[in-house]
Amino acid sequence: MHAVGVLEAGLCKYVLISYGHSGRWGEGMLRMLLGRNGDDAVFGHFGASAGYAMAARRAMHEFNTGPETWEKIAVGQRKWANLNPRAMMYDRKMTTADYYSSPWVVEPFRLADNCLVADGGRACIVTTVERARDLRHPVVTIMGLGMHSPSADLAGSRYMAGPTGARAAGKAALDMAGIGLDAVDACEIYDCFTYTVEITLQDYGFFRPGEGRDWFAGGTIEPGGRMPVNTSGGLLSEAYQMGLTPLTEGVMQLMGRCGDRQLGPKTNNKTPEIILCSDNGGILQSHACYILRKG
Amino acid sequence: MTYNKPLPQIGADTRFFWEGCRKHVIRIQKCGNCGHLRWPPAFLCPRCLSADTRLIDVSGRGTIYSYVIYHVAYDPSFKVDLPYVVAVVALEEGPHILTNIVECDPHKLTCDMAVEAFWDDVTETLSLLKFRPAKP
Repeated sequence: MHAVGVLEAGLCKYVLISYGHSGRWGEGMLRMLLGRNGDDAVFGHFGASAGYAMAARRAMHEFNTGPETWEKIAVGQRKWANLNPRAMMYDRKMTTADYYSSPWVVEPFRLADNCLVADGGRACIVTTVERARDLRHPVVTIMGLGMHSPSADLAGSRYMAGPTGARAAGKAALDMAGIGLDAVDACEIYDCFTYTVEITLQDYGFFRPGEGRDWFAGGTIEPGGRMPVNTSGGLLSEAYQMGLTPLTEGVMQLMGRCGDRQLGPKTNNKTPEIILCSDNGGILQSHACYILRKG
Repeated sequence: MTYNKPLPQIGADTRFFWEGCRKHVIRIQKCGNCGHLRWPPAFLCPRCLSADTRLIDVSGRGTIYSYVIYHVAYDPSFKVDLPYVVAVVALEEGPHILTNIVECDPHKLTCDMAVEAFWDDVTETLSLLKFRPAKP
């Protein structure tokens, strides 16, 4: 959104959005995931995994969700990673039984509900459509953007089980794009945890609270499914590169640069025209939605 | 035995709370203008922005808003407690507070379950406000 702002203001011609991190041996990622947040540490409460687990537990109480829903997300995304040679989990299959035998980390989350910690980097370039037409790769246009940041501290909130920022951000992005969800061919959702995918799609309006269990059933998000989600494997099964994992995958899919996982005849999916991407920060405290179009 | 777990970072905003804990009293800020009870402590009311702040003692009764069960000790000092419960408790008077649920079977807890204050005197000068399932 800031990139569009500086381009529109004429401050520059191209904006590079980049991220790189040696997460597996540097300590920055661990500090974020496990670090001390004020006096929470006095009670043994640390980091992102437990914060999201707290939100997910409240969600289990308020609507019909839990491991039966999250298993379909973990297993479905792994099938995409198995088509992506760059994915950390390319060579490792995951079955439903594998999901349930994954050890508890902070219950209700198992290890398989958690994203990866990765070494690597991602980048994409934002410019005007006019300039993009002169460049080497096919044009992908930003149709709509929305951001919403509802709370400074999830523990103090009265709506821990949603709606999250995805509700208002998704609506803003769809309104700007002038489309409904039925025009979306695939989604690239920020998936720090399995539950994040469910609550984000739920708040966008793909299904009503608790109907995710049925919506995800039958391979909905998998190769050949009716709504492909996180087609690189995502943060759960490709690599953790912040919001650039979903965003760059959306762009690459629309450019047709995704190899064996390219949506279309290879995966028995529709060749995508419009892809919805999300980013998310804090413990569900800030949210961004991007809608991308081919051409 | 020395207490080796993380200690609270007591500052000007939170000193009243920890001093209350030491006396086994739960002190919460109440806005002198609009009456809103707030947690975490702050010098302005987040609802009306008044700086007129009173302190009240609350009952120690509440319900579990949400909770998680730790199976991994991110800080080694908590290893002896595994599996342990961290919860957000909704105090009867309103505010939500992060705490532990003790004296319970973690797998028998549910959201909205009634709990009551349990004082854990961890050092001579530090008592922690924890909760346990309410006695009928």
